[in-house]
Amino acid sequence: MNMFSSLMLASLSVLTLPIMSSILNTHKNSTYPHHVKNIISYAFITSLIPTMMFIHSGQETIISNWHWMTIQTLKLSLSFKLDYFSMIFVPVALFVTWSIMEFSLWYMHSDPYITRFFKYLLTFLITMMILVTANNLFQLFIGWEGVGIMSFLLIGWWYGRTDANTAALQAILYNRIGDIGFIMAMAWFLFNANTWDLQQIFMLDPNLTNLPLLGLLLAATGKSAQFGLHPWLPSAMEGPTPVSALLHSSTMVVAGVFLLIRFHPLMENNKTIQSLTLCLGAITTLFTAICALTQNDIKKIIAFSTSSQLGLMIVTIGINQPYLAFLHICTHAFFKAMLFMCSGSIIHSLNDEQDIRKMGGLFNAMPFTTTSLIIGSLALTGMPFLTGFYSKDLIIETANTSYTNAWALLMTLIATSLTAVYSTRIIFFALLGQPRFLPLTTINENNPFLINSIKRLLIGSIFAGFFISNNIYPTTIPEMTMPIYMKLTALTVTILGFTLALELSLITQNLKLEHPTNMFKFSNLLGYYPTIMHRLPPLASLSMGQKSASLLLDSIWLENILPKSISQFQMKTSILISTQKGQIKLYFLSFLITLTLSMLLFNLHE
Amino acid sequence: MSLVHINIFLAFTVSLVGLLMYRSHLMSSLLCLEGMMLSLFVMATMVVLNTHFTLASMMPIILLVFAACEAALGLSLLVMVSNTYGVDHVQNLNLLQC
Repeated sequence: MNMFSSLMLASLSVLTLPIMSSILNTHKNSTYPHHVKNIISYAFITSLIPTMMFIHSGQETIISNWHWMTIQTLKLSLSFKLDYFSMIFVPVALFVTWSIMEFSLWYMHSDPYITRFFKYLLTFLITMMILVTANNLFQLFIGWEGVGIMSFLLIGWWYGRTDANTAALQAILYNRIGDIGFIMAMAWFLFNANTWDLQQIFMLDPNLTNLPLLGLLLAATGKSAQFGLHPWLPSAMEGPTPVSALLHSSTMVVAGVFLLIRFHPLMENNKTIQSLTLCLGAITTLFTAICALTQNDIKKIIAFSTSSQLGLMIVTIGINQPYLAFLHICTHAFFKAMLFMCSGSIIHSLNDEQDIRKMGGLFNAMPFTTTSLIIGSLALTGMPFLTGFYSKDLIIETANTSYTNAWALLMTLIATSLTAVYSTRIIFFALLGQPRFLPLTTINENNPFLINSIKRLLIGSIFAGFFISNNIYPTTIPEMTMPIYMKLTALTVTILGFTLALELSLITQNLKLEHPTNMFKFSNLLGYYPTIMHRLPPLASLSMGQKSASLLLDSIWLENILPKSISQFQMKTSILISTQKGQIKLYFLSFLITLTLSMLLFNLHE
Repeated sequence: MSLVHINIFLAFTVSLVGLLMYRSHLMSSLLCLEGMMLSLFVMATMVVLNTHFTLASMMPIILLVFAACEAALGLSLLVMVSNTYGVDHVQNLNLLQC
């Protein structure tokens, strides 16, 4: 009997303390954000102990506490599943959140509602933890919806801005479409497996799992911004930078991937769904990488980068490697959050300037931010032996040596080189060259909150991959032998991307500005997807509704078919054929005289 | 022909002359139409009852029904004329308008 479950529950429940302190009104004072940050750091350290116990002994736990209700034959209880995935994700998420909270102490310093901001961030973290440690689908759905709601509240943080409100609404709508798939999967499991518990579903191992897995794939498409339901992620950059760093890079958007990873025992038997996942991920990763090439807002480029990496994770699930996808989730959190924090530092220093065409020359002015931005970009592109290498290179190698769809593989490789291209673009435009911002600058990165938080994630970006990879137990065996050209594929395409981008940027820097080509317009306007899909389907459905309901039923069937058509017809024909002048008395009189004469004639003629 | 029959036949003829010769109101011709219908009804009923021709005793009732319909039609025409002109003088019906 060890302290595994107690420590884990303690670390999760200590997160709820600041929320409950709002009852006592201690959340009105100005040290509340510091308390929140400290509590998250304590929760992180406390959760390290069960994780180390897990790594040492491989002990997985399911904590089933409170029997909530029984609905005929379905038993719903509060149960936490502390297995490989949750035990490693919880410390990573808490570490990244700790750094982001410290960063937002600097970033949101002048915001009058900073305590509410921290409360929202903490509520988001709690719902994310519920999602990750859920053992039944109902609890997972609670966490799922919770992160959706907190995302809405946080994206629309500056609600005076119209774009922020539409972006928050867009996030909710696209997530809702994914929730339809989730509920369909829940309904299928209720009918066919009589349960929402993951253990029972995996034990029963149902045969025809196409429908629920399609539902789960739709849910992942909505939550993780895959192609078709992706426009909400770049629009979500309207929220403050800590929100983008926490929700839309490390934690919330990986919820969809996490759901598919949780269901990997069902997915590994269903080849159709795997191919579908693979193609969806490949389309997403290539499309969003293309869109990232010509964006001018630094946060949007990083958002598209997130979307592209999510597509890569979905591709990994599609080649039946859930553990590699999970490793990529954990390593991606470090450098993506750090990239967002560096961009936040740049934005604040240049007085809220987000356009990379108006930055430049920050290499000498902000050395610490420059360092972390370059290291983060290198980790993102998979430079050998930084963090991203341990997951990304393994994914590319496994995809190269597996029996998979060649088109999807090609798309993934092209997207990998495009990753290097747009990372070079950020570095070139934001950091190198001569300054393009206004001369009166407020560049200051000397705040200890900023420096410490980025420093922690920097150490994580460099060493976390090595650290995590060496301490987890072996799950699926990676491919050990392959030809040398396959081994070096990822590195080659990345270096190709770097050199190409650098050459192009240097050559075209002094050329005359031309009109944008069609390819440029395609990439800049996000492939025209939001323009088409936000206007055409609503117009079509609304006009179809109007035509069928009011025009067809009311006007035509009830008014026009019998009554009005008869009256029109009669009037037209009577106008057409009448030749009379209306002398009624004359006609009647002549009728009477004719009648009298004929009667006299017939009676008096013998 | 017996006296009763001549009586009713005379009533019918008077109404017919009233239908075909009137001065200005369309309503008087409609009233005479009703009078014709009434005398026809009485004549038919008397003949059927006197000759005990039971099978034909439907005929007056059906005659009544159809007369009601035609009276309604005549009244609607009257209402149309009255809507346009305010009175139902026949000399208004000299313009060919629909």
